[in-house]
Amino acid sequence: MGTTTVDLASNFAALGLGDAWKWDKGSWWLDTGEDFDVRESAARLIALGARFVAITAMERDDNEIRLDYQWDLNGNLLSFITVTHERKMATILDLCPAVDWVERETYEYFAVDFTGRATLMPLMTRVGDEPGINLRKEAVQ
Amino acid sequence: MSFRIPIGPYHPALEEPYKLDLTCVGETVSDASMTVGFNFRGIEYLAERRNYMQGITLVERVCGICSNVHSLSFCQSVEQLSSLEVPERALYIRVILAELERLHSHFLWAGIAAKLIGFKTVFMACFTMREKVMDALSAISGNRVNYGMNRIGGVNRDITDPAAVLAILDSLENGIRNTINPIFIDDASVASRCKGVGVLTREYAQAMGAVGPLARASGVAQDIRKAAPYAVYSRFQFDVPVEEAGDVRARLIVHALEMIESCKILRQALSTMPEGPIHTPTPTAARMKVPAGTAVSRVEAPRGEVLYQITSDGTDVPKRVRVRTPTFMNMATVRFTVLGQELADSPLIQASCDPCYSCTDR
Repeated sequence: MGTTTVDLASNFAALGLGDAWKWDKGSWWLDTGEDFDVRESAARLIALGARFVAITAMERDDNEIRLDYQWDLNGNLLSFITVTHERKMATILDLCPAVDWVERETYEYFAVDFTGRATLMPLMTRVGDEPGINLRKEAVQ
Repeated sequence: MSFRIPIGPYHPALEEPYKLDLTCVGETVSDASMTVGFNFRGIEYLAERRNYMQGITLVERVCGICSNVHSLSFCQSVEQLSSLEVPERALYIRVILAELERLHSHFLWAGIAAKLIGFKTVFMACFTMREKVMDALSAISGNRVNYGMNRIGGVNRDITDPAAVLAILDSLENGIRNTINPIFIDDASVASRCKGVGVLTREYAQAMGAVGPLARASGVAQDIRKAAPYAVYSRFQFDVPVEEAGDVRARLIVHALEMIESCKILRQALSTMPEGPIHTPTPTAARMKVPAGTAVSRVEAPRGEVLYQITSDGTDVPKRVRVRTPTFMNMATVRFTVLGQELADSPLIQASCDPCYSCTDR
């Protein structure tokens, strides 16, 4: 997997996150820690011209959900590893309209409540369906 | 006085289920809302309950048109996790399959667009050419769709007669240059029908995270084959067509020119494909275990960037399989591109973003 040559170091500095980035298996990764502000980072990424790509959610052993916020900056995939608090995360919808369907889908799959947005209307399921499809524990085949 | 016009989920123009509720004042669309999910199959959930070998077959069923990019992206992620080096010949074959798939997808799109524009003879021409691509794919893989070509560490079948594919390519390129492109790019009737219709501005395309030909028709010059090359794309000369207008006509032009670029890539790949094995001698046992970790793979599908993120816990079943498809990002733009447009143009506007609901819903 190749990436285009851009001055990532200065971009990382502009994101205020220094040298903590690590390239591994298809993405630049940043384990953000507890004080990370997902909204501030989204605002900075948008100002740099980054394109929102995805939120990848994954269940953790402590009943919280890991959320990887993924952005493309000049062909480089940047993944911010964050963790919900009591299954909640601040929305970035008002900053980035592209996230609308992704947050709704993440709610349906992992029951993550994105706070600060008016509704989390179902996208794939229907009104009244229980959220958290991917948290079900049926046996593996 | 306004009227609410529900369209779908059994759609009169596009043969996939989704629902678009349009509010019109006279003939002008003043509001729109969209409902998807009618094809929801829980593919991500299912993929986390099957082993990696079963996963390849499963993800290839995300979509019937761009099935190859799903198994390709899945396999690339697993290969990264397993530190597998795929043989060169297999990488060339992956590129050839991907570009043939792009061609047949673009021919399908071009045919539907022509039909909605009112150019039904072009619809027939596009589908005739698409059949030739399907024949080539069938000759290579044994299947017209869901080719079953990708495996972890390479591909399942060799291309034993590249000259035969090159001969088909000659015929296709002739058809694209002499039949499709003059109509899509130069014809005055098509231009007047499509110019200024369903505009997606560059700013909005970026804000909505649009990808692929839709974004490139709005001036967003990104193609994963160039920006983050995979397989052996970095070895080939090709251009990324970009238009600035953001309207239906710009989408026609981008798709038409992209077909020529696919032909360029195919010629280079078929002519320079090295000899050698087509897969690694890795275990093909259904219960192969994958080292723990997380890997991401992005592929430029016919409709734009596909992302697969796979997390392994060291067992033979992935802990997490994330699938983000291009139409998932692109389709949400339709709610905005139909605003202020004529009701009669809304099917063309919807079709012009090349939607795939099977991909969107997964």
